[in-house]
Amino acid sequence: MWAIEHPWRPAERSFFAETPAPLLGALALAGLGALALVELHALPEAALGVAGVAAGQGALLATALGWAGAGARAGLVAVALLAIGASAAALHPVGAVAYAGVPLWLWWRARRGAPAALGLAGPVPWGAVWTGLAVGAFLGGHLLISVARTFGVRLRVDALDLVLAAVAYDLGANVPAAEAFFRGALFDRAQRRWPLGAAVALSTAACVTRYMLDPRLPKSVEVIVGAAFYVSLVAAANCWLFRWSGSLLPGAAAALVFFTAYRLLSPP
Amino acid sequence: MTQQARLLLVGALALTLAAVTALLALEGGDPASPLRHGYLPLVVAAALVWGAPGGAAAAGAVMLLLGPVVLPEIERSGLTPEAVEGLVTLATVALAGALSGVGTTRARGLRARYETILAAQRALAGEPALELALARLHAALSEHLRADDVGLVVRDGPRLVVTGGDGVAPGSVAAQVLAGAGAIFVADAGGGRRPRRVFATPLGAGAEGVLVVEREGELGVDERAALEALGAHIGLVLANARLTARQRRFAEELEVKVACATRRLEELDHAKSSFVAVASHELRTPLTALQGFSELLAARRLPAEEVSRLAGIMHQEARRLGRIVNDLLDLARIERGLAPALHRTPVAVETLIAGVADVFRRGRATHPIVVGYEAGLPRVDADRDALERILTNLVSNALKFSPPGRLVRIRARGAAHGGAVEVEVEDQGAGIPAESLARIFEPYYRAPEAAGTARGAGIGLAVVKSLVEAHGGSIRVESAHGVGTRVVFSVPAVP
Repeated sequence: MWAIEHPWRPAERSFFAETPAPLLGALALAGLGALALVELHALPEAALGVAGVAAGQGALLATALGWAGAGARAGLVAVALLAIGASAAALHPVGAVAYAGVPLWLWWRARRGAPAALGLAGPVPWGAVWTGLAVGAFLGGHLLISVARTFGVRLRVDALDLVLAAVAYDLGANVPAAEAFFRGALFDRAQRRWPLGAAVALSTAACVTRYMLDPRLPKSVEVIVGAAFYVSLVAAANCWLFRWSGSLLPGAAAALVFFTAYRLLSPP
Repeated sequence: MTQQARLLLVGALALTLAAVTALLALEGGDPASPLRHGYLPLVVAAALVWGAPGGAAAAGAVMLLLGPVVLPEIERSGLTPEAVEGLVTLATVALAGALSGVGTTRARGLRARYETILAAQRALAGEPALELALARLHAALSEHLRADDVGLVVRDGPRLVVTGGDGVAPGSVAAQVLAGAGAIFVADAGGGRRPRRVFATPLGAGAEGVLVVEREGELGVDERAALEALGAHIGLVLANARLTARQRRFAEELEVKVACATRRLEELDHAKSSFVAVASHELRTPLTALQGFSELLAARRLPAEEVSRLAGIMHQEARRLGRIVNDLLDLARIERGLAPALHRTPVAVETLIAGVADVFRRGRATHPIVVGYEAGLPRVDADRDALERILTNLVSNALKFSPPGRLVRIRARGAAHGGAVEVEVEDQGAGIPAESLARIFEPYYRAPEAAGTARGAGIGLAVVKSLVEAHGGSIRVESAHGVGTRVVFSVPAVP
């Protein structure tokens, strides 16, 4: 038994230990630089989107990889892959397929057992994945019905290429970065220090804050309140799925299905 | 409840919720429809079955299902009476789920706590040995605490009895609690995909043991407080069990001691009875001689030589009588816990030994008596009469218990550590059996072999020992079967 047979000393490691601060600093500078250059018309506006995705999602993914002990180099690769995906998507909607590089690279690393601490290694917990799909479908369906009944919003079936590009972004950047950081890193680190409720609250609050700060979120009260409500539910459900299965895949499945439903909505 | 039954219940609840929602939708999605009341019993049922998590989940699900009915009404027409009814239903469902869930969880927690305490008491009932008691307790706690691992460490004198591990590692959580650190909670023991909570709490107030619980799941503040209370309770139960065991052991020891003392008293009583018989006989022998010879002297006119011979015999018997009486008096003093009265003067041991040897040589010349001294022996600080009685007693025994013709040796030498003189009386008799050797200085004790072959009341050696010790000396006896016996006593020399 661990408590009887193993020596123990209270942990002295900081909550933010192994954060790749230099990389995050560099990403912040790059983002601000891109913003300045776009403002000065030295760069096209699409470059800001590319820099935003690479810096924003890259910061989340690099921090998650750093906390999982993967090292700064892995963070750099993740940022590079995100930048490639975002650049390709900016050139043409079909280019969004390039976002697949991130999950493929993560899958390749997971096969080698590298980011085990992120909940990416080990066998696929199919039961939990199906549950995650059901949770995502329920919340996504609920979103569609609620929005349709309340605001009369219709499905965006006329612009499927844009929907697919957005789904590719979710699959390759949004969902992997959010799940890796908010569940695999932040929630996992918090639940190993504090009670489950506190860890869920922290992870969910951080996740909601991230989406509230997203410049692509429409700035209407209904959308902001609705986004906060549904993101809270998805985030809390994904914490539970991660806690239950020990894997990021069920939460990723739930989030992907939910965001797919969200992408189907026409902008207000 | 089995996993399958749990899944079936969840499925049934989800289906019923879906059915109520479908009926509500089919009716036109009126938030004031009486069908909305169908949610309430479902939420309460979920709370009663799964406690707070079930109540919260069911209430959340109802709010999600009813939300798309109520919110569009508010969006379309504002806070109409129908919309308010819908909102009230939402609030009622949330409140009912939360209250009945929390109540159920608390009630179950209390029941579980009492059941655990009861199981712990049952495990320790019947006063089993500590190892067995802890094994039973470990099994009971493992069953009741819903833990992945339960361990108990209990001090038992200098050793630690451990269940749930091979031994207590220095610096481990259990070792720190044992050292008096109080209860320790570790949020994650590490090494797993999910955090492994660990809680260790002292057993009783004196940290006489530790209760350790490890779980891959929550171990909340309430549960930890309950475990602390359980630890204190187990400590108390263990202390009671120990006390009962100690009392039982004490009672058993007392019983053995009482039995021993009774047997000893019976032996003493028997010995005293024997002593009375033997002493009467011992006293009657010289008395008979004195009586007979004195009557003879009074009744007849005898030649002077005969008178002198008879007077000599009478003197010898009178001395013997006196010796017996002195021994009896000394024994009485010993039994009263008093030391014999001594009148110490410097005594030359050589002279004393020579005198005693001469008396015996004159009295009965059945054994050759050899005397030897170390040159330059110091004089001893002793009561001359007492010393003479010691020596007389020992020589008398040596003669009594060795066949005629065998040598009796009396030797004196300075003690090895200095400051005393050792006197040794050695015979070539049958020797004393080992089982009797330890008891020969006890009053009234007579070795079974000696009782049938020689006279004596069993008080001589007891008196000798008491006299030697009253002088501040010591006495020891060495004997080999068929070889002989050697008694050595020491008396302090004159400083």
